Amino acid sequence: MNEFLGIIQHKLHMAVLAFMGIAYVLRIIWLLNFSAARERTLPAGQPAGVVVSSLLAVAKPWTREGSNRNPVFYVQFVLFHLGAAAAISLTYFIPYRPELLKYGLFMRTLQITLGAAFVVGLLRLYRRLAEPSLRMISTPDDYFALIMMTAFYAAALGAISVNSLMMGNGPLWAFFLMAAFFHFYVPFSKIIHYLYYPFTRYYLGKTMGHRNIGNGKISGLS
Amino acid sequence: MNANTHLSGNRLGDPALATAGRIPALLRARINRQTACSMVTCVHCGECAQSCHYALARPHDPFMSPAYKADQIRKIFNRHLDWLGRVFPRWVGAGGKTEETDLSRLKDIVFGTCSGCRRCTFNCPMGVDNAALIRLARGILMEVGVVPQGMSNVCRNQWEMGNQMRVTEEDFIDSLSWVRDEVQYELGVNDVEIGVDKEDCDFIYAVNPREVKYDPRSLINAAKFFYLAGESWTLPRHGWDQTNFGLFSGDDRLGAFMAGNLYQAAARLRAKRIVVSECGHGYRSVRWEGYNWAKHNQTIPTESVIETIIRYLREGMIKVDRSRYRASVTFHDSCNVARYSGLVEEPRWILKQICSDFREMHPNGMNNFCCTGGSGLLVMPEYRDIRLEVAKIKAEQLKTTGADVVCTMCHNCRDGLGDLISHYQLDMKVVQIMDLVAGALILPEKQGS
Ligand code: SF4
Ligand code: SF4
Repeated sequence: MNEFLGIIQHKLHMAVLAFMGIAYVLRIIWLLNFSAARERTLPAGQPAGVVVSSLLAVAKPWTREGSNRNPVFYVQFVLFHLGAAAAISLTYFIPYRPELLKYGLFMRTLQITLGAAFVVGLLRLYRRLAEPSLRMISTPDDYFALIMMTAFYAAALGAISVNSLMMGNGPLWAFFLMAAFFHFYVPFSKIIHYLYYPFTRYYLGKTMGHRNIGNGKISGLS
Repeated sequence: MNANTHLSGNRLGDPALATAGRIPALLRARINRQTACSMVTCVHCGECAQSCHYALARPHDPFMSPAYKADQIRKIFNRHLDWLGRVFPRWVGAGGKTEETDLSRLKDIVFGTCSGCRRCTFNCPMGVDNAALIRLARGILMEVGVVPQGMSNVCRNQWEMGNQMRVTEEDFIDSLSWVRDEVQYELGVNDVEIGVDKEDCDFIYAVNPREVKYDPRSLINAAKFFYLAGESWTLPRHGWDQTNFGLFSGDDRLGAFMAGNLYQAAARLRAKRIVVSECGHGYRSVRWEGYNWAKHNQTIPTESVIETIIRYLREGMIKVDRSRYRASVTFHDSCNVARYSGLVEEPRWILKQICSDFREMHPNGMNNFCCTGGSGLLVMPEYRDIRLEVAKIKAEQLKTTGADVVCTMCHNCRDGLGDLISHYQLDMKVVQIMDLVAGALILPEKQGS
């Protein structure tokens, strides 16, 4: 049993990570195969700063109307993604740095983050099902990715919280098998958006900077 | 079952199917990395619906969400250009067969429920440019001939006549001499010259055909300022129309043709700069998109006449009296000028020189709401009802300012705002910046006093 758990934690995990890495590289090559539109105009502003600002846009909710109108959604967004970071980091901490999980504060932080992310996942699922405009644009992958992430948070929480004497290695098995599936599925799902984000944001920021959009200064005259 | 029934049962030979079948190839030929990024990055979070005036005005209508509109072309991308969508089309929302796409419905979505304002783009956490995707879909429909009649007519005018209002060369020259006489009369001078095809001028001036055909006031104002500033300027005989329905229709070839006419005229006449009259989409087309469409590297400065007027005011080449204009004024930022071209402070700088009661509307600048007449909607009467319905967002915004006058720097916004002001019975007048500058202008004999 423990030997199998070891295989899942180490070998299988490494194999799916390698698969994911290769799939990511192929995805990037595929995207870069589309030729970039060439800019032939003289610049009105400096793109560098705006590109950085564009890349950081996700951390600047005040710049977007949706987040301003519904700050709760932004809080949910943050919790959900912190949950993702926590769950993924556990796939490393549990097999390679288990001593870290003995620190009470660290453990509690992970548990609270994962618990909050799980609740947010359920709320997001409810919203996706209940709001007609969201339902209209939702694909099977949108639902599946959300359900899978939410279940992954629950599994991660289980893996570090459930008394191992009562349930043996069951929660760990569940968590690492889910992690393996998760890493395998990500390249085929919308969860891969974080891979594309820098490209999309880079090009938007570059255009904005080139055109002096949102600079608040009179171009060339001040 | 006879042969004919069999054929119709399979819908073979149906021209609509043949047309829809061309879409993947057209998409493949048009897509670039920037639009591909927008295709793949959307996570269907729905946040963009919070920023679109269509979605805000019709909150219970799920078809108004920007992501839904962009998804109509994204589906085709997923099915034909993304290997995942090719293998599992339903799973990623790639929909049914493209050959069965209802093109008429697609036309109504991309032409009738989006003003291309790009508000959703700047409010998307991922940076997805829905407006660009919708324009891409328009361009493909244009190619297969599924286009609103009004849009098609104006595009044809530009291809055939080089201007959108079918102004002939004789009419153009006639109008210019009338404008010259009017300027001379108003200034009390007799040496005003409005040159056509003059070589080696400081700038070449491009106008909106309505300034020539229906409403010469802004051309008269411009000619007056240029005269007082002692400018050497000219209009080109060909290429004087700065408007560009290639932008609205998504037809980059038309875009290249129209903008290229002007760039070629500037090169032929050895102009040192290009100045574009007050027009949102015209400015955007000439200053930014046109160079890329025409594959023409920009070599000379290209500016809005608003930037020219700022220079005149700063350098004292023309003078204005701020106390003359007593009405309260608010400013409407054209989407093409603010969100696409970055001119936000420029019009405000001028307004602060000429208005004693200037009030910002909220939101403004890059966050302003569209006049609701953008992207050619004013020439597509079949979408007027929904346009005016969703204009309630803009009407509310205008009303809250309590201003007597709304000023803009775009002919199209002027018409769009005028239409909604009369529809919502607001007590407000629409003007353009040049009108206000002309009203505050101190004429030469008074400049010394
Ligand atoms: S376009 Fe942007 S805001 Fe709209 S659903 Fe897609 S990711 Fe969300
Ligand atoms: S570009 Fe403007 S009108 Fe079109 S979907 Fe986006 S916000 Fe709505």
